[in-house]
Amino acid sequence: MTELYPPYVEAGIAKAKRLEYWTIAWIVTVVPLMAVVMGSSQAMKTVWMEDMLGFIPPIVFLVSARLERKRRTEAFPFGFDRANGVSFVIAAFALAAMGVYLLFEAVMTLAMTEHPTVGTRRIFGRDIWMGWPMIAVLLWSTIPSMILGRLKLPIARDINDKVLHTDADMQKADWMTGLAAIGGVIGIGFGLWWADAAAAGLISFGILHDGISGLRSATAELIDGAPRKLEKDQIADEAKLLRDELEKIFPDAEVRLRETGRVICAEVGAYPPKLPLDLNALWPGPPERAWRLARVGFVPPAEHGRGG
Amino acid sequence: MKWPLPVCVLALLLSGCDNYPRDPEGTLQRVKSERLFRVGLVAPLGAQAMEAEPRELLRRLAERSGASPRLEQGPAEPLLDRLEKGELDLVLGRFEKKSPWSTLVTFAPPLRVEKSGKTAIHLTAAMRNGENAWISLVEREARDVAEQGQ
Repeated sequence: MTELYPPYVEAGIAKAKRLEYWTIAWIVTVVPLMAVVMGSSQAMKTVWMEDMLGFIPPIVFLVSARLERKRRTEAFPFGFDRANGVSFVIAAFALAAMGVYLLFEAVMTLAMTEHPTVGTRRIFGRDIWMGWPMIAVLLWSTIPSMILGRLKLPIARDINDKVLHTDADMQKADWMTGLAAIGGVIGIGFGLWWADAAAAGLISFGILHDGISGLRSATAELIDGAPRKLEKDQIADEAKLLRDELEKIFPDAEVRLRETGRVICAEVGAYPPKLPLDLNALWPGPPERAWRLARVGFVPPAEHGRGG
Repeated sequence: MKWPLPVCVLALLLSGCDNYPRDPEGTLQRVKSERLFRVGLVAPLGAQAMEAEPRELLRRLAERSGASPRLEQGPAEPLLDRLEKGELDLVLGRFEKKSPWSTLVTFAPPLRVEKSGKTAIHLTAAMRNGENAWISLVEREARDVAEQGQ
């Protein structure tokens, strides 16, 4: 395997891949179980949809982690760092669209005063109210996601991976989703027909929020926005420090930073210095994060302002 | 990981409740207190010559709920429409397995399955959506009747 990054980042990527395989394996067990017990519960349907969508970030992560290793070609002279960004847009769009759809469904269910049926099924000769298996499956769907989310979050910071971070965030929201759905099912049992759709509405708000914030962050990268923080759509602190540092070294030059995948590329509006640049020395933050600065390009000042 | 415990405690408490699940519109409670449940028979299912399975289902429901059925006969659509509105508690008749009514009312497990070419026709009971205590009772009894008939 090609070593692109320092050993601790490479180790983080390898660990993240393993966690993503575990995530896929776990979702594979949840989705059919949920389909079996779902009945006509809107909240269960919403959680089921969310779990189906949960396949997207791990798959996108694994695909882009593979593409990132591909050598640049004549057709792709800048390599494949941005494959991650493209996949992220697709994932975030799917998420946002699903959030809108599920929110609409929940509101319609409330508006039409549709009463959800949760009946019984005969299992080993006993008639079981399906609310109980629903709650059991919901617990199964939430506990592993809580553990996986917690494991992924620090790795996402180490390897500066937005897809992994979004995935971890989604899983962090999953246990709340699960609790809301459990509340909805218990509510149905108490004869509160609206509890289920209200829970589904709350859950879909979460999905929509994840989708929109992911979409903002992903499109920022695609249109060469300044590097963003992992957790929100704001310019990253280390990018601001780097820009200040470069402006100090090249006082009259305009400095632009953009993010491609997990690394930062800088463009300086100046003639290149005679001596070779030590990228690690330019990095103003902790040295172990210096790998984030992948390239510094120089554009003659006259041309730099062209095109906006 | 603090939350599974309250959930488990709640589950244990609820499993001890006799009247769980409950009906949002109180069907089972009303049937018990008024000692009456309103049944629509889809023609040609007549009160006079009712088949063994529906008759047995009504007998069992009467026994479990301490109420007696009040029967009326009619075509499927108006009966199901009234069931949806809560003017009837049960509709007995033959319905296609993939009946378009299946989202508007809840069908119990079939008392008997009849084949009409490639289509499966279920002799079954329909209930108002969401009345989960009443639905659970009817489903349980319908399964017993179907098993008895086999």
